[in-house]
Amino acid sequence: MIKRLKHELKVMKAVAFVTYKEWSAYRTHSLVSVFVGPIYFIVQFFIWTAVYGNHGSLAGMELEQTIRYFGAMGLIGYLVMDFADWNLQMLIRTGKFLTFALRPIHHRFFALSQKVGHRILGFFLEFVPCFLIFSYIFKIDMVPRYPVWTIISIILAFFMNFYMNYCLGMLAFWLVQANGIRSVFGLIAQVFSGALIPLVFFPEWVQKCLFFLPFQYTSYVPAMVWTGHYVMGGISLTIPQIVGVQAVAVLIVYGISEVIYRLSMKQFTGVGA
Amino acid sequence: MALIEVKHLVKSYTTYKRGSGFKETMKSFFKREAVRVHAVHDISFQIEKGEICGVLGPNGAGKSTTIKMLCGALYPTSGEITVMGKVPTRERKQYVKKIGAVFGQKSQLIWDIPPIDSFAMNKAIYDIEDEVYQKRLDEFSELFEVQEVIHKPTRVLSLGERMKCEFIMAMLHAPEIVFLDEPTIGLDVIAKAKIREFIKEMNQKGTTFILTTHDLEDVEQLANHIIIINHGKKVFDDNIDNLRKTLGEKKIVELTLAKPFKEDTIEDVVKMSQDSPYDLRLEVDVAKTSIHDFLQKLSKQLNFTDIAIKELPMEQIITRIYESK
Amino acid sequence: MRRVCEIYKVCLKTVFAQAAAYRANFILSMLITLISNILFPLITILIYQKGASFPEWSFWEVILIQAIYTIASGLAASLFSGVTWATMGHIKEGSYEIILLKPLSPLLFLAATNIQLEGVGVIIGGMVMMAISLANLGGVGIGQWCQFILLFVTGVGVLIGLFLIMAAISFKWVGNSRIPEIFESVKTFGKYPLSIFPKAVQGIVTFLIPVGMVGFFPASALLGRLDLKAFWAMIPCVLFMLFGIWIYKKMIALYEGVGG
Repeated sequence: MIKRLKHELKVMKAVAFVTYKEWSAYRTHSLVSVFVGPIYFIVQFFIWTAVYGNHGSLAGMELEQTIRYFGAMGLIGYLVMDFADWNLQMLIRTGKFLTFALRPIHHRFFALSQKVGHRILGFFLEFVPCFLIFSYIFKIDMVPRYPVWTIISIILAFFMNFYMNYCLGMLAFWLVQANGIRSVFGLIAQVFSGALIPLVFFPEWVQKCLFFLPFQYTSYVPAMVWTGHYVMGGISLTIPQIVGVQAVAVLIVYGISEVIYRLSMKQFTGVGA
Repeated sequence: MALIEVKHLVKSYTTYKRGSGFKETMKSFFKREAVRVHAVHDISFQIEKGEICGVLGPNGAGKSTTIKMLCGALYPTSGEITVMGKVPTRERKQYVKKIGAVFGQKSQLIWDIPPIDSFAMNKAIYDIEDEVYQKRLDEFSELFEVQEVIHKPTRVLSLGERMKCEFIMAMLHAPEIVFLDEPTIGLDVIAKAKIREFIKEMNQKGTTFILTTHDLEDVEQLANHIIIINHGKKVFDDNIDNLRKTLGEKKIVELTLAKPFKEDTIEDVVKMSQDSPYDLRLEVDVAKTSIHDFLQKLSKQLNFTDIAIKELPMEQIITRIYESK
Repeated sequence: MRRVCEIYKVCLKTVFAQAAAYRANFILSMLITLISNILFPLITILIYQKGASFPEWSFWEVILIQAIYTIASGLAASLFSGVTWATMGHIKEGSYEIILLKPLSPLLFLAATNIQLEGVGVIIGGMVMMAISLANLGGVGIGQWCQFILLFVTGVGVLIGLFLIMAAISFKWVGNSRIPEIFESVKTFGKYPLSIFPKAVQGIVTFLIPVGMVGFFPASALLGRLDLKAFWAMIPCVLFMLFGIWIYKKMIALYEGVGG
């Protein structure tokens, strides 16, 4: 058991390192984030400063929290984003997925390791510079209220986004053209993850539904945990409680991805066909 | 017991007819017409340890499907496969550790980084020990003369160099069996020769190879055991000498003539066909007449501006095998 | 000029034929393009529903700004975003020479052969938004319409300038598929009433990178809230577009000099 774990860790390290190296070739591209991230952030800053005007709080959030929310949202994106769906459907479409069936490794584990490498690069080239810009140039207090919970929540969001996108990518085992579905899903995720606006601004029934959908757990939850105060749908949870809920959500999506993976392998290997 | 044993292997699947155009697509969304395809139909064979086995057949004959089933990537519909005493699709992870594969069109190398980094990744995946890894890497890169190439990003390598690196990647974990799907497709003569040399050398050290190919030359120079598949059925399964006996040693000679040719026969020619008065295709049995003698006679009889000597095409080989039965 | 029209006519025909051949796909991708382009007014709607507002701007006034912004984006994207994408692609593949071999200005050739029909959905969506907000705002005089059209066309020019600058950057920053993100982020300033930004920012988006002309100024003209000084702001816009054309041509000249 320990030997197996050690081996898996070794594989993850090797794959992550190779991915890190692969994407380092494009490190200047990350400079785009260092420009774009702060631009979006100042736009949000001015919008919300104007909107709050003389309102003390809107939808249960104060101006200070809203600003920190958008800062956190941007920063968390650099740590949890991936394109596991795009990558997997490409492997399936080109038939390259076969090369993974011929190696003693689970492709999902391989892809997760790739994401680890890719996001470590994101941490250094995008997260750190933008964090410094927000904190020292814009002078926004970006230190999380509960650093440990925030880190846990971001790690959970990292897995959440990965398993969700992986499920989406697996559709390509059945559909020749899954691009339409993927873009529609992307749009829905954009709206309901809280990237556009804190989810508390939505009508209350929408907020209640969102508890049972995966989207808020990829960005809204970690961003709110970062700001130190979580509310939604009129329900105010303590930070440990919502992180607990998030953990359960990750487990469920992991379970779903496992089921779809097994069905996919049946489809791919033609069991019973 | 043979290393690979295949009994009554069948693979069939159902596909659905797809209409083109919007209306047809919508229609097929609700009601689909099922078509049953038999990709592999009752094939049995054995491959012994230390063989180089060539699996031949025209496109869509079922070669790749068979290979994929042998690799454990595809489940048979029925029939049995035992490789090294194991069923490939069961205990997949344990099984694939012992095999290697190079699928010509499906690269395992990572595009933007040097092959050496991809190798290091496979080292971890296959759990190869440091010393062993280094020893094999040195050995292989020397054999292929790619010591420098493996440090350059994959995207700048030539097709031949890339293929050599694919081979190294597939061989680092010292697999007992290696599956090759069209390993020399698109390569130049020198690279082909190098790869064939490598296969021979590895084979002498005990690795068993199974390769599919279009290229008869691959087979002639490498394989000692040949299986020919057509329409999902096995049509030939024997050694290369017996294939030669069945086929005779025939070559195709294509000529472009300076003057129109109107006679009916030419001496020593087995078969003849003519597309136009200036284009002539001849089949020559080189077991009876050497190419050298044949050409001398030919140049006396005919005046030609261009000449090409080719192997028999796969379709003709299969027809010939059917005829000989 | 007649030749240009002729070329556009032929290219449009091809684009329509392609769209017709893959109808289901085309309609789907047009819808997705439309929805992703009109997500941002959702923020405005949610803000006003919570009883908050952009100071001194009514809900329908803000929606009008965003509607006009949407139409301008759709129009500019249909006509010119293809230049950016195609240039990026050719530079990455090292095949830009093909464009230089054509007996036509490279800019015109790329624009004509890369018309993005999906943008039509965005234009229509923006027009519907505009009609609804105008219906809620009341009548607009002929004079105001004239002012609007003048400013609107200038705003589209600014976007074209931006597309060309992005394309020009891709000559130097080869293979960076994220260049358009810069473009998107800069455009954001045009989506909201300028008065919410500090004076310095207002100055930048009026005179330096004049994206204020994309939504805000034309909408102000329709609302009768236009400061006549805004017409001076057309000068930097025209200069901006000319700069875009100039820098793109400059990059081609440099590219030819290097010979690929």
